Amino acid sequence: MLKQMAAIREQPQVKSAIDESVIVACQRGDRDALRLLFEEYKDRVYSIALYSLSGNEAAAADVTQQVFLKLISRISQFRGDAEFATWLYRLVVNTCWDERRKERRLVQFAEFGVLTNSRREPSQTIRYAQHELSEHVQAAIAELSPKLRLPILLKYIEGFSYEEIAAVLDCSKGTVASRLNRGHKALARRLGWLRGQVVIGE
Amino acid sequence: MFTRHVTRKFSAYLHEELSPEENRRVAEHLIGCNRCRVEFERVRFGMRLAQQLPIMTAPQSVWPEIDAALRKQPVTQMIADRRWRPATRLAIAASIIVLLVGSLLIIRSIFSGAQPSWAVARLEGTPRIGSRAIVGEGNLRVGQWLETDAGSRAQIDVGTIGQVEVDPNTRVRLLETKPTEHRLELARGRMSARVWAPPRLFFVNTPSGIAEDLGCAYTLEVDDDGNSILHVTSGWVSLQLTNRESAVPAGAACATRRGIGPGTPYFEDASEAFRSALTKVDFGGDGPARISALKVIISEARSRDAMTLWYLLSRVSEPERVRVYDRLAELVPPPEAVTREGVLSLNEQMLGLWKEQLAFAPGTNSQKLKLGKKF
Repeated sequence: MLKQMAAIREQPQVKSAIDESVIVACQRGDRDALRLLFEEYKDRVYSIALYSLSGNEAAAADVTQQVFLKLISRISQFRGDAEFATWLYRLVVNTCWDERRKERRLVQFAEFGVLTNSRREPSQTIRYAQHELSEHVQAAIAELSPKLRLPILLKYIEGFSYEEIAAVLDCSKGTVASRLNRGHKALARRLGWLRGQVVIGE
Repeated sequence: MFTRHVTRKFSAYLHEELSPEENRRVAEHLIGCNRCRVEFERVRFGMRLAQQLPIMTAPQSVWPEIDAALRKQPVTQMIADRRWRPATRLAIAASIIVLLVGSLLIIRSIFSGAQPSWAVARLEGTPRIGSRAIVGEGNLRVGQWLETDAGSRAQIDVGTIGQVEVDPNTRVRLLETKPTEHRLELARGRMSARVWAPPRLFFVNTPSGIAEDLGCAYTLEVDDDGNSILHVTSGWVSLQLTNRESAVPAGAACATRRGIGPGTPYFEDASEAFRSALTKVDFGGDGPARISALKVIISEARSRDAMTLWYLLSRVSEPERVRVYDRLAELVPPPEAVTREGVLSLNEQMLGLWKEQLAFAPGTNSQKLKLGKKF
């Protein structure tokens, strides 16, 4: 099934366009600066929300919106004594937790939404294999416990260091290392059947 | 050399989050502990899977909804408290100081030459690192060339994972050294490597391919045209260039050509006629000479040369493939699930199954190789 080679995705090297002056402008209520901030972080915030909420696209969009509205109303509280991204992702993680609690009351998590893909042309075989691999990974990540999932999302979506992840999750670097280790092993266990079928680039 | 198991540190090791001391301890432990090596491969596989996680695009509708909310309640109203300003000014001043101190530290580290390096020992003559002659021992830093003349030889310690002997008239450069990758460039000459780390940590770039260590000892030689020849003495080495790859076992050799990449691996005790015909098929272009060379390969092939025939299946034209198939099936009958039609249409699963049947298959040595790319 997955015989094509799937190219490895580089660890995100986030070169932020957001500097102190943008934050200050946001704190003054500058709408353009807020838009810039939104454009810079929206996809990563949405991705973390999506993977945290078992692929529920509507809930992830709702969380993204809530995060930015909270950010706008609370940005005056940001005092520059922490990294802005760390501060922002604390908001993301907390909003996701709230959303999960809300969802749990309403429905049981079912299939991972992203997996409902459409049919593709045979000429797209390689892209299809990569897509399929990434869908298996998304589904496996959705099955992890939030404790193991969040460090993985912060590492691979945002490219955070262990220290930054520890700051977002309010735990020690050692705990981050241990949870990432367990998360990697859990992924390898769940998707072990892919080993012989897919070559992930070096 | 028994030490406490290090399995809990693998992710931090792979993410380069350990101190140099811890790094060394993990690397050294991995060399001697099979159990940890198995676990290390599992964590690394999990990490590679996680790296496939895509960043999704947020729906277009999110911003208009935020914008609508902002219109109902102006931003300035939402942002009531502005008492942070003096603190921000202080933060900016602190950031500038941090930036200045950081820049000074970086400049200092550049000028003090604190880049990673490998120890080099002189074995004979006067090998050179850059323009400096090595008298007893020296250090090869990332980006530096080590050169030997007709009368000199040197030995390089590849971090803690292996050793490389550099023969006369050789030019090598250190490209990278970090826990997950050690990489040399061999521009010309000959080097012998012994690596005792887990597979896929040590690489050698040549002008016509990359040698990737799969737990082994080998000799690699590059001529003035950038063509190379690899001889493996233990374990496995993978040779790659773009979409072409050959995994070479102990006792076998494989040539590479600039602009083409690796040829077909063969056991060194194959007949002279077989080896010379293989060179023609691999690098001689099309024409009558190639047709007769393939005939020689087929007639000279022994059971042990099944490996070479297996690789040729995917590297020859369709009419040639039929002949290669027939000879390979005669030497090593394919497993039940493998059909002639499947192999002739290069069904990868069938080729993989047949490869496992062959004695050379690395999978038989608990070290399953990828069949990836175009084998």
